[in-house]
Amino acid sequence: MEGLVTQIQGLSGTASDVLSLQNLLKQADDSLHAESTRLPLFLDQLDPSKHSLGYLYFLEACTAGPVTQELASSYVLTIARFISSCVTEQIRLAPDKFISVCKRFKDQVLLLEEPLRGVAPMLTAIRKLQSSSEHLTALHPEFLLLCLLSKCYKTALSILEDDIFEVDQPRDLFLFCYYGGMISIGQKQFRKALELLHNVVTAPMSTVNAIAVEAFKKYILVSLIHHGQFPTNLPKYASSVAQRNLKNLCQPYFELASSYSNGKIADLETYVEANKDKFESDNNLGLVKQAVSSMYKRNIQRLTQTYLTLSLQDIANRVQLNSPKEAEMHVLQMIKDGEIYATINQKDGMVRFLEDPEQYKTCEMIERIDSSIQRLMTVSKKLNVMDELMSCDPLYLAKAGRERQRFDFDDFDNVPQRYNI
Amino acid sequence: MASSSSSGLTFKLHPLVIVNISDHYSRVKSQMNPPPVTSTSATVNGVEPQQQAPRVYGCVIGVQRGRTVEIFNSFELLYDPSTDSLDRSFLEKKQELYKKVFPHFYILGWYSTGSDAQESDMHIHKALMDINESPLYVLLNPTINPAQKDLPVTIYESELHVIDGIPQLIFVCSSYTIETVEAERISVDHVAHLKPSDGGSAATQLAAHLTGIHSAIKMLNSRIRVLHHYLVGMQKGDIPCENSLLRQVSSLLRRLPAIESEKFQDDFLMEYNDTLLITYLAMFTNCSSTMNELVDKFNTAYDRNSRRGGRTAFI
Repeated sequence: MEGLVTQIQGLSGTASDVLSLQNLLKQADDSLHAESTRLPLFLDQLDPSKHSLGYLYFLEACTAGPVTQELASSYVLTIARFISSCVTEQIRLAPDKFISVCKRFKDQVLLLEEPLRGVAPMLTAIRKLQSSSEHLTALHPEFLLLCLLSKCYKTALSILEDDIFEVDQPRDLFLFCYYGGMISIGQKQFRKALELLHNVVTAPMSTVNAIAVEAFKKYILVSLIHHGQFPTNLPKYASSVAQRNLKNLCQPYFELASSYSNGKIADLETYVEANKDKFESDNNLGLVKQAVSSMYKRNIQRLTQTYLTLSLQDIANRVQLNSPKEAEMHVLQMIKDGEIYATINQKDGMVRFLEDPEQYKTCEMIERIDSSIQRLMTVSKKLNVMDELMSCDPLYLAKAGRERQRFDFDDFDNVPQRYNI
Repeated sequence: MASSSSSGLTFKLHPLVIVNISDHYSRVKSQMNPPPVTSTSATVNGVEPQQQAPRVYGCVIGVQRGRTVEIFNSFELLYDPSTDSLDRSFLEKKQELYKKVFPHFYILGWYSTGSDAQESDMHIHKALMDINESPLYVLLNPTINPAQKDLPVTIYESELHVIDGIPQLIFVCSSYTIETVEAERISVDHVAHLKPSDGGSAATQLAAHLTGIHSAIKMLNSRIRVLHHYLVGMQKGDIPCENSLLRQVSSLLRRLPAIESEKFQDDFLMEYNDTLLITYLAMFTNCSSTMNELVDKFNTAYDRNSRRGGRTAFI
């Protein structure tokens, strides 16, 4: 054991030394796990910022056992310090060990019921483990879980802004997008929440999983809040498993969506009252209430398409609000959020609906469009690469021939896939 | 091995042959299991994964009129690595079939892929000599070299040279020209338009026009930078002030901008934004179509219970 410690101290200098050190540590792994009680003494001899790989192996062996209260409090500080001072290149040589250490850290923090302590170290851990900002590691969902439990949503937003391109495990993606959706709902960023939940629902899956079902329920509700409608068919890139089964598993929400589309608030409210327990058991009652209140917004927006000017009393009547004052509050809120363009004339209580005042003749608009075009170009390049890779995929090539039509008419030129009638 | 030939024959190669060879090679390569796509796979016990490009073989057929040899078509042959020769019976069967359809075509030689002609190729070459006294060897180099401007196809003939006192057959390069039939020209044109990206020169007129404008503006920018640098130097005092030059610069600068008014700015920016929006829309459409194809392919390959597609017959 002491010999191992001296070797770690000696071989943590250059990259080639670290590689040979890694082989040594792999062989010594079992003996480390066997002597886990003696290890904490040796940990003090190692410096996490210089001997990160060795420290990691030792730490992983120490924390491999079940999590208990006293162990938790002693290790939380050590692990947090290790995460902040470790060297990225050495850590990346043993990613699974690092991930298991961080997961233990999360368990300990949760056991101590102080999720807030884990948020910052976990964020540093993610940044160190990722090979690029487009890489989704197993630590992402753990981090989001900690943020959710400690209610600090803002720190999570920086992680949610990254575009993901590589995923380690499918379960990570499901959990990440689901938690991310919940955090975005908490921050009232419904567009982002919709995007993330959409990813969960349409991700490739061979069997329906519980995360997707829960996400689908929230997806319906958020889509009602944000768009005012819910498309009954999932897009064609959703897996066929999802398309067939998700509807049956979320029946009450589906009916909620269809009664929403009728536009009558009273019906909607009675339906919600009737099925209150179901919604409550899914922890979605708050969202359902938000969906109901968003109904008023939809109705007012529908009015903008028919009328140029309308009095506040009329608005209140049509939207089934109680008084013109409430109508004024709603319209004011919507103008502030940028959902409609209108002016309220307070003297005679008339609201005049306006067109979108954007004239598209400013330089800021140019910059916005330009940056969007740049982003689209990078996405397009990536898509082309993926398309070519897919065309060479042997699984695809094997099946592509099978779908050919048996008789080839002379008029049709390409392989049938293009014309899905 | 290759010096220029002295037989005096002119060779004409049809694009169909090149496309056939390249198609044969691509098919074999993509059907190889596992596909050689792995780039940084770990070396397990020091054994590197097989990265050899496969060699494909076949015959070329055409017509020889006097001193002109025209290669029209080609077909594939199976290579027998044990006897190091091509499958003879298959070749003869194919030859009969082709004779029925194209009575004028003779077997002119054979083709293969690779970067250079090899010693083992001489075996195959000699084996074909009983069909054609002087067969051709068409070699296609499948490695893509973006800097190379010519076609990676070389035609070799065999000549009897005396080396070290022993008369030996060696391969010598010959030059060739490309000859096209109308149908071939249309298809080559079509293929060339499919991928004008990444390293290709401007394939369309619009791209050429825009490249011209881009280089003109770049030159203008660099010249103005030179002037700017000069003026800054003059201001700092590094360069002595020359009033005549300053007068010229100021007259140049007064020529532009031509109009400067609020209304012009508005209209100009609106039109600029319109063009940008159209470009954005075009990119969107392009991207969506790629994504659609990708999703279709993914569904075909990986979705277990994909919808039974196929079309019903149109009556």
